[in-house]
Amino acid sequence: MAEVKKYEEPRIGVFVCHCGTNIAGSIDIKAVMEYASTLPNVVIADDYQYMCSTPGQNKIGEAIEEQKLTGVVVAACSPRLHEPTFRAATKEGGLNPFRFEMANIREQNSWVHMHQPEEATDKAKDAVRIAVAKASLLEDLIPKSVPVERAAMVVGGGVGGMQAALDLASAGIKTYLVEKEPSIGGKMSQLDKTFPTLDCSQCILTPKMVDVYRHENIELLTYTEVEAVEGYIGNFDVTLRKKARGVMTPDEATERGIIGGGCNGCGDCEDVCPVIRPNPFELGMSPMKAIYIYHAQVSPLIYTIDFDSCVKCGLCVDVCGDKKAIELDAQDTFETVKVGTIVLATGYDIFPVEEKHEWGYKNYDNVITSLEFERLICASGPTGGHLIRPSDGATPKKVGFVLCAGSRDNTGVGKPYCSRFCCMYSLKHAHQIIEKIPGAVPYIFYMDIRSFGKMYEEFYYRIQDEGAKFIRGRVANIQEDPVTKNLHINTEDTLLGRPIDVEVDMVVLAAAVQPAAETEATRRLFGVSCSQDGWLLEAHPKLNPCGTTTAGVYLAGVCQGPKDIPDTVAQAEGAASAASIPIHRGEVELEPYFAVCIEDICAGCGMCINLCPYQALALVEKDGRTVMQVTEAKCKGCGTCGGFCPGGAIRMQHFTTPQIVAQIDAFLLGGEQ
Amino acid sequence: MAVKKDYKDQTLAERLRDRKYYVPDSNPEFVKEVEKIGQTPAHMCFQCGTCTGSCPSAPRSTYRIRLFMRKINLGLEEEILTDPDLWLCTTCYSCTDRCPRDLAPTDAIMAMRNLAARRDIVPRNFLKTAQAIYASGHGVPNNDANRAARVKLGLDAEPDTTHKYPEYLEGIRKIMDHYGLKERADKILAEEG
Ligand SMILES: Cc1cc2nc3c(=O)[nH]c(=O)nc-3n(C[C@H](O)[C@H](O)[C@H](O)COP(=O)(O)OP(=O)(O)OC[C@H]3O[C@@H](n4cnc5c(N)ncnc54)[C@H](O)[C@@H]3O)c2cc1C
Ligand code: SF4
Ligand code: SF4
Repeated sequence: MAEVKKYEEPRIGVFVCHCGTNIAGSIDIKAVMEYASTLPNVVIADDYQYMCSTPGQNKIGEAIEEQKLTGVVVAACSPRLHEPTFRAATKEGGLNPFRFEMANIREQNSWVHMHQPEEATDKAKDAVRIAVAKASLLEDLIPKSVPVERAAMVVGGGVGGMQAALDLASAGIKTYLVEKEPSIGGKMSQLDKTFPTLDCSQCILTPKMVDVYRHENIELLTYTEVEAVEGYIGNFDVTLRKKARGVMTPDEATERGIIGGGCNGCGDCEDVCPVIRPNPFELGMSPMKAIYIYHAQVSPLIYTIDFDSCVKCGLCVDVCGDKKAIELDAQDTFETVKVGTIVLATGYDIFPVEEKHEWGYKNYDNVITSLEFERLICASGPTGGHLIRPSDGATPKKVGFVLCAGSRDNTGVGKPYCSRFCCMYSLKHAHQIIEKIPGAVPYIFYMDIRSFGKMYEEFYYRIQDEGAKFIRGRVANIQEDPVTKNLHINTEDTLLGRPIDVEVDMVVLAAAVQPAAETEATRRLFGVSCSQDGWLLEAHPKLNPCGTTTAGVYLAGVCQGPKDIPDTVAQAEGAASAASIPIHRGEVELEPYFAVCIEDICAGCGMCINLCPYQALALVEKDGRTVMQVTEAKCKGCGTCGGFCPGGAIRMQHFTTPQIVAQIDAFLLGGEQ
Repeated sequence: MAVKKDYKDQTLAERLRDRKYYVPDSNPEFVKEVEKIGQTPAHMCFQCGTCTGSCPSAPRSTYRIRLFMRKINLGLEEEILTDPDLWLCTTCYSCTDRCPRDLAPTDAIMAMRNLAARRDIVPRNFLKTAQAIYASGHGVPNNDANRAARVKLGLDAEPDTTHKYPEYLEGIRKIMDHYGLKERADKILAEEG
């Protein structure tokens, strides 16, 4: 453990960063520097082009050495970006890293006051003065290390979640894979083929699903949702709701003494079940019983009862016989597991494109979505792979594909972002109809074709060569011929500069995507932020795309933003790797910002105990007195107790009352202390 | 019998004509024909505009090669073949040099001029040129100013063409007769009066 040093007089060094012209473009660096050198306790003021560079960081180390500094102030960008960098430089120079304070003169100053250089310079001086006031009172702090639970959790069992779980498990980490649906697989299991290689989606996914099911380190929890989350990196307690499935696995049956029993996936129950309802996996295009599996490749191969539609007639129980797999009175059960790190991979839903009335989805029979197209063109789908018009079952010859259906749309009804994979899958769909239906012509209505990935532009070239017709123009509206049920697509051919009307047999809307319905609730449980459009927010869009600002929680796949399968899998591998690091290190450092009880002053009143939102406080007996005690690993440093304590007996480390008061004074008194 | 609705004023009628194009009315075979004659896969055009940007004719006229490429793919045969702009290509081949999809827009234009000529749609100046070639072996025959310039540069007054070797004119005429070019030019010009 590093020793805590005591210093007599504060000696502060101030370093002002130009950030190229990002800061120097609107702030007078020299003036700020000169001002800094006049401030109390400041023994050196310096500047540099890029303080975060190696020479910049070296300046800090050298000054600590030569000037015997007790505190360091860097006036630069946001601490979100470079506080860790400069703390490391401070430590390198021989000071305790918590003797560093940052003044943000970029995000909160030069970038917003670009056209007011004088005011910006004054504001920068204020920021530096406040930081110096705090730095003069900073103390050595020692971060606490806590052990990390050797287990991880992945939430969402689409291709992203499956890949993350497989990687974590293969790295020797016990991994819980939580999926709300009865089977893993996600959207990819609903797809027919995959661009640009056109390999069959199920064929490449099923082996992975089997690997997940069989992996000795993966505990697969399907039909399960996250109910509550407590704890912090290294020590999360996650409570899971295992939804009543009504059907026992062989293991569950054995646990209850039914040897050789449990569901073997024979499907006899499905045959006798009298309830018929729309099949959600086939997007309502085929029927399904109350007791069901989605398709033959489900993993695990266990039936599930939909208790919303089950009439509890008991026919299935009879036919299941000695296996005794079915429990019509099953209830949800709860289980709490402890994990060190978590990967969220909750994927996406299709935007309800019927909200764009002009395209007539759910109003005109022959307007379908791309996901419905995937099921209709898939050999295991509701029509055995024959694309048909819903209105009359005829094979369509002319098919219009409407791209950006709800994407790149700022009306409020629709999504402002690009959904990223629809251009490519629509090209794939065009290929599929040319291949399957002799004489079929696909008409692709587009604004741009975004074929950004490896071999994607080549795929676009190929589909154009195969005869797909491209019309550059966003579809303004679609009208149905009431007699033939054909559709008239209206737009401008912007390359010709003329309005056009194309009559087609069928329209496929490449609908936008949005975060999966439960994402909002789930992210709140894990304390993860989202961006304006609802996608989960990465820690840094370029440099930390798999992490979140909540330590120990990582992101994989479309839940972070639209991406295709290759990108989803790549991010999943990144997230799994990031999530395995704390587990492999075995311990993590917690920032030492916790509350500390000054036992001499504490009256043991206990009023703070119930105020703490994290249950971090307790009363204990010490030397014959009752005093409050903090469980440091649980404390998040929120300051609720510290602000409340009537006797001032709670010290918030790194945010002590004297430090905060000094900052306020420095600001209000304008330096005339 | 249904009465055809129309405006009395024909210029107004033309101005208010429905200009939407309807794919069933266009000729889907047209692109194939152009590709066969021009020997360039015109259906691969992705409308980038490099061709029009390269074209020396474009800034000086209403000729837009990119637009022709678009119309080919829409099968707008009538519109293309009757468009006077079809004849504003200088055949410099700049577009062909630069097309990122490696097409030869120039050759597509030549193919469509061929198709237009089959319908006797050719501008006067082109027909006159055909006649001039038939007469002299040259679209732009030599003249005195040119001869003087050539001599000044140390060249022969006449170039090594039918001007110097009139005996080859027969051969050129034979080729033109084979395709009925002179005959067609004469006929169209006579009809125009
Ligand atoms: C019509 C169409 C065609 C496509 N074609 C292609 C293609 O050809 N090639 C290609 O590369 N990409 C294609 N894509 C994109 C592809 O679907 C995605 O890239 C991929 O499915 C993303 O996987 P994911 O794991 O991130 O999300 P998902 O597949 O959505 O999986 C998320 C999983 O998490 C579960 N889940 C959600 N919320 C929770 C929760 N709160 N708790 C527990 N579980 C939860 C869901 O049930 C689901 O199983 C296509 C997309 C569409 C719409
Ligand atoms: S991927 Fe293509 S179709 Fe989809 S939103 Fe982006 S530009 Fe539009
Ligand atoms: S340069 Fe080639 S691809 Fe581009 S518009 Fe012209 S013909 Fe088409």
